[in-house]
Amino acid sequence: MKAFARRMISIDRRIIFLLIAGATLLPLVRPFGLPIKVSPEVKAVYDYVEELPKGSVFFLSFDFDPSSKPELEPQAVALLRHAFRKNLRVIGMTHWLPGTSLADSIFARVAAEMHKVPGKDYVFLGWSPGGGSLIIAMGQDLYKAFPSDYAKRPTEGMPVLQGVKNLRDVNYLVSLAAGSSGIEMWYVFGKDKYRFEMAGGSTGVIAPGLYPFLRSGQINGLIGGLQGAAEYETLIKQKGTAVAGMDAQSADHMVIIFLVLLCNVFYFVLRNEKGAAV
Amino acid sequence: MPAHLIPTEALFGAWVAVGLTLFIFSFLYKDNPLFKIGEHLYVGISVGYTVVIVWYTVFIRLVWEEIKKGNYEPVIPVIIGLLILTRFIPKIAWLSRIAFAFVVGFGSGVAIPRTISSYILKQIEDTVNPLVTMGSGSFFQLANPQSGMNTVVVLIGVVSVLFYFFFSIEHTGAANTIARTGIYFLMIGFGAAFGYTVMSRMSLLIGRFRDLQTYAGGEYAYATAVLLSATIVTLALWEILGRRGTRLE
Repeated sequence: MKAFARRMISIDRRIIFLLIAGATLLPLVRPFGLPIKVSPEVKAVYDYVEELPKGSVFFLSFDFDPSSKPELEPQAVALLRHAFRKNLRVIGMTHWLPGTSLADSIFARVAAEMHKVPGKDYVFLGWSPGGGSLIIAMGQDLYKAFPSDYAKRPTEGMPVLQGVKNLRDVNYLVSLAAGSSGIEMWYVFGKDKYRFEMAGGSTGVIAPGLYPFLRSGQINGLIGGLQGAAEYETLIKQKGTAVAGMDAQSADHMVIIFLVLLCNVFYFVLRNEKGAAV
Repeated sequence: MPAHLIPTEALFGAWVAVGLTLFIFSFLYKDNPLFKIGEHLYVGISVGYTVVIVWYTVFIRLVWEEIKKGNYEPVIPVIIGLLILTRFIPKIAWLSRIAFAFVVGFGSGVAIPRTISSYILKQIEDTVNPLVTMGSGSFFQLANPQSGMNTVVVLIGVVSVLFYFFFSIEHTGAANTIARTGIYFLMIGFGAAFGYTVMSRMSLLIGRFRDLQTYAGGEYAYATAVLLSATIVTLALWEILGRRGTRLE
């Protein structure tokens, strides 16, 4: 047993990579269809959007870049589908410069799928520098902060922005964030000052750090990682890439748990040997 | 081959995406020239893309077009910004201090009150919730973040973790018990954060695999299969040349 444990502890790490690759690929090719349980924090976002009257202003901030696309794109797609289905007026922007054209392509794709017209049903403002200062500028005058949208159309007089002067006219804001320049920044410089309701969607990495904001009511809901996106897709009854990826996620987690347990058993077997930990 | 169904730019994009994904994944085998190509392309393209967007958004849209309209307000921040560049001319480098003073003064003035309000006051307000509230549902309702049970857990966690970082008295006896409780809370916190990080990284892997799966079809001219084979052959040749000692590093 000791010899076997010793051999396994020093196994080539590339074998573990192959195991993970297999666990990811198999469910993508042949999904198991594991059930998805909706958490209260995701349901809170869905319920708030669901209760917004037609024509309300829904602001979606794409605060991520392509490196977080697998987690945050499904969230963006699900939220946009829900907002367009409810005939909300959707305003989009990004604080992350490298994510500008990704955000634009997501917006354009979902809008085309839902037969929505740019300038009338939605507008994508693009990126502008400033971060927190930009939010303050938008809170004072949206048109000074963004004189034109990403497609270079003047924002002043745009039908989708009718009656919208600044952030105080936003009914609900969701920031999809891959870092602190996102949900936290929107809360600190936006909601706390201009008093609109907001929620967050985040990568798994930053989600645990956002729970204190959720608990204190600083955000009213939180969509965390691919799991959160899958929950939102389940709620809007339109399954997408997140639900499809959850089987692979579960399979990966099972493999990791199994390997962690196995490794601990081997370490336990070799606990009295010097230099057992290779 | 039904590749003509896909627009040429989308087909090209798919091949580039698949190729670069496989080049980056090849690092899992070992550091190699294909990985280096992917890495350098990523850095170069990111910088190039950033320069173009900043040029258009900042200079053209926010400065040049406004000046053309007769609005000269943006000239003031442009001058302040240009002052930073005086760092390169030693004789007038002191002018850059004006710009830095503006950035530090404005940044602090804007950030400090907002940060204190959002990160400190609001969080303290939530931490000092009443332990028992009348008529707010069951005390033991764990799913409700505001339930009495969770409030007690928060209270114990906050006090014990703060005590763990209090080094003015020796952690022995009862103090040791409180400090150890703090360690347990910290460990649970780190575990949850690490669990989420693993989930996040797996999601990224799933995303890349899903793209590889999508682009494996005939409509994308079998990009995944062709480029995977090419990557494996290249790595094998590179390995063989390395063993013969004729590889260029």
